[in-house]
Amino acid sequence: MLMSKRSRFLTILFIIMLTAALLSGCSQNQSEKSPDTSQPAKPDETIKIGTIGPLTGNIATYGLSTKNGVEIAVEEFNQNGGINGKPIKLISEDTRGEQTEAANAASKLIEQDKVVAIVGGVISSETLTAGPIANDAKVVMISSSSTAAGVPEIGDYIFRNCLSDEVQAIQLAEYAVKELGLKKFAIMFTNNDYGLSLKEAFEAKAKELAGITAIETYNDGEKDFRAQLTKIKGTNPDALYIAGYYTEAAKIAQQAKDQGLNAQILGADGFYSPVLLELGGNAVEGAVFTAGFFTDDPSENTQNFVKVYKEKFNSEPDMFAAQAYDAAMILLTAIKNTDGKGGEVLQQEMAKTKDFPGITGNTSFTDVGDAIKDIIILKVEDGKFTKLR
Amino acid sequence: MNYYLQILTVIMINSILAVSLNLITGYTGQLSLGHATFMGIGAYAATLFTLKLHLPFLISIILGASVAAFFGFIIGVPTLRLKGDYLAIATLGFGEIMKNILLNLEITGGPMGLRGIPKVTNIYISAVALFLVIFSLNRIMNSRVGKSFIAIREDELAAEAMGINTTQFKILAFIIGAFYAGLAGGLYAFLFRYINPKDFGFMKSIEILCMVVLGGMGNTYGAVLGACIITVLPELLRSISPVIAQYRMVFYGLLLIIMMIVKPQGIISAPSSNKKEYKNSLEKGGQ
Repeated sequence: MLMSKRSRFLTILFIIMLTAALLSGCSQNQSEKSPDTSQPAKPDETIKIGTIGPLTGNIATYGLSTKNGVEIAVEEFNQNGGINGKPIKLISEDTRGEQTEAANAASKLIEQDKVVAIVGGVISSETLTAGPIANDAKVVMISSSSTAAGVPEIGDYIFRNCLSDEVQAIQLAEYAVKELGLKKFAIMFTNNDYGLSLKEAFEAKAKELAGITAIETYNDGEKDFRAQLTKIKGTNPDALYIAGYYTEAAKIAQQAKDQGLNAQILGADGFYSPVLLELGGNAVEGAVFTAGFFTDDPSENTQNFVKVYKEKFNSEPDMFAAQAYDAAMILLTAIKNTDGKGGEVLQQEMAKTKDFPGITGNTSFTDVGDAIKDIIILKVEDGKFTKLR
Repeated sequence: MNYYLQILTVIMINSILAVSLNLITGYTGQLSLGHATFMGIGAYAATLFTLKLHLPFLISIILGASVAAFFGFIIGVPTLRLKGDYLAIATLGFGEIMKNILLNLEITGGPMGLRGIPKVTNIYISAVALFLVIFSLNRIMNSRVGKSFIAIREDELAAEAMGINTTQFKILAFIIGAFYAGLAGGLYAFLFRYINPKDFGFMKSIEILCMVVLGGMGNTYGAVLGACIITVLPELLRSISPVIAQYRMVFYGLLLIIMMIVKPQGIISAPSSNKKEYKNSLEKGGQ
């Protein structure tokens, strides 16, 4: 009895201490922030925008690329006088790719930092959790990589600047049948929201235009796909559509080649990374896939972005960085037009965006806030990516 | 203030999870590595009761928790005849099976998860739930049933010799623990409005176990304390300074390691968890 009373007391004491620490930690944070921005402008004249995404954990590369892309856009704006003279401050929050953390990060950005708008989340489950919070608070949020169906439908304040899985799968199926003359398709998809969305759209379109021989599934992080590939090989397809990310796609391509499955490899934007070429080697030669961004695109904007990115982060920008950069550019342009105001005004301004000339193509928004843009189709040739369309 | 309220609500939910695992692992001494699965079952069941059958929130989460309890029974019957490491592995396997079922069923939305859940859970509801859980748990632990749980942990053979049907009581602990975890899952679903099988995976189970071990095994308040620390720590590190925020997961891991080195028995150690200490205290009491 004595013990339990003492422990109850200790618990309550600790909880009070932790709460106090949390509160003081946050207020400290705010006071610390002001000297950081002690540039010509007063602290309250900075325009704050936030990013949420995984900066740690096993999908950190997506989050870091997104953050880097947004950083470049913010820097570009700040060099040209910010938002009508007011500097922009970027606050990036880590989510570890977890939903609870994404919700906390969004709440923190909105309430503690009072951001005007948020670029994020990176993966779809983050956006689906953080989105309703931002929408309720009337804070504009633009995701540059959450491709799952239903993301822009969360609410009026949620926008998206990337290829939806549906659109890219449909366009690739059309291209494969009409331009490449393929007839029999097998599909391998990663069993998550991304893979499933791609698979459903591709399956429907391919069935309509040609035929499907086999559909197999795998999980991210798996290394052995021989069981699925053996089954697929038995159905003798012309093409293998891999709805997944580059790490697994490279391994699938390699194991398919080892098993003597001579099918045209098709894929989606999850393919677009130099890692595909490194891991896949010969096996991914000739692979055709859709992408939202192409580094070697000769346009001036793209080359400029690639140059700045390489100088600043010492690595090649990927699709996540490019789409995040464009999302941030669209957002900041809208903020400039509203003179730093957020909320309803910004939402309306964002919705008006039409044919915004970005590095991932000209972007407009549909009524729900989804991006409409041209789809790039790439091919691996001589160990390099080349643009087909 | 919503940010703090949200964190506090998550603390309450995590506390229910930690307290319920503590019943299984701390009091009854059965190592379970699939606790998040019960949470997931509760979350999915409660959500489906609301979305498909349009039942009110309260009925949904209680039914959801009951479904989780039912699964606790189904899993408990074959696995609780196993001991120690074997039980841990069996519960681990159960977690993986359930994750794959949730990933592949149509009604659960597969990897897309379920969305469009109304936001009902707030600080008051979760506080009342936590209070009820702790209150009922204390009643259980002070009853014959609770004493049997502790007897099983201390010495299963001796407990059996005293006429306790150990398997039956272990299954009972599993059912009660699963019920509470399912309740927490329901609250979670109605707080974040979106659920996905990934939320209830192995890592979440480990996180709940961390809360229990950190706070002190076999002590309800220890479990609550562990849940507070594990929930608040990442958020606290996020807000202290931008430099720490960058490496916050490193600090988080480091702090856990330090705590475990300094106080391996947990922050609040359980009464009579150490047989020698218990004997000593008895002798002292006798003098």
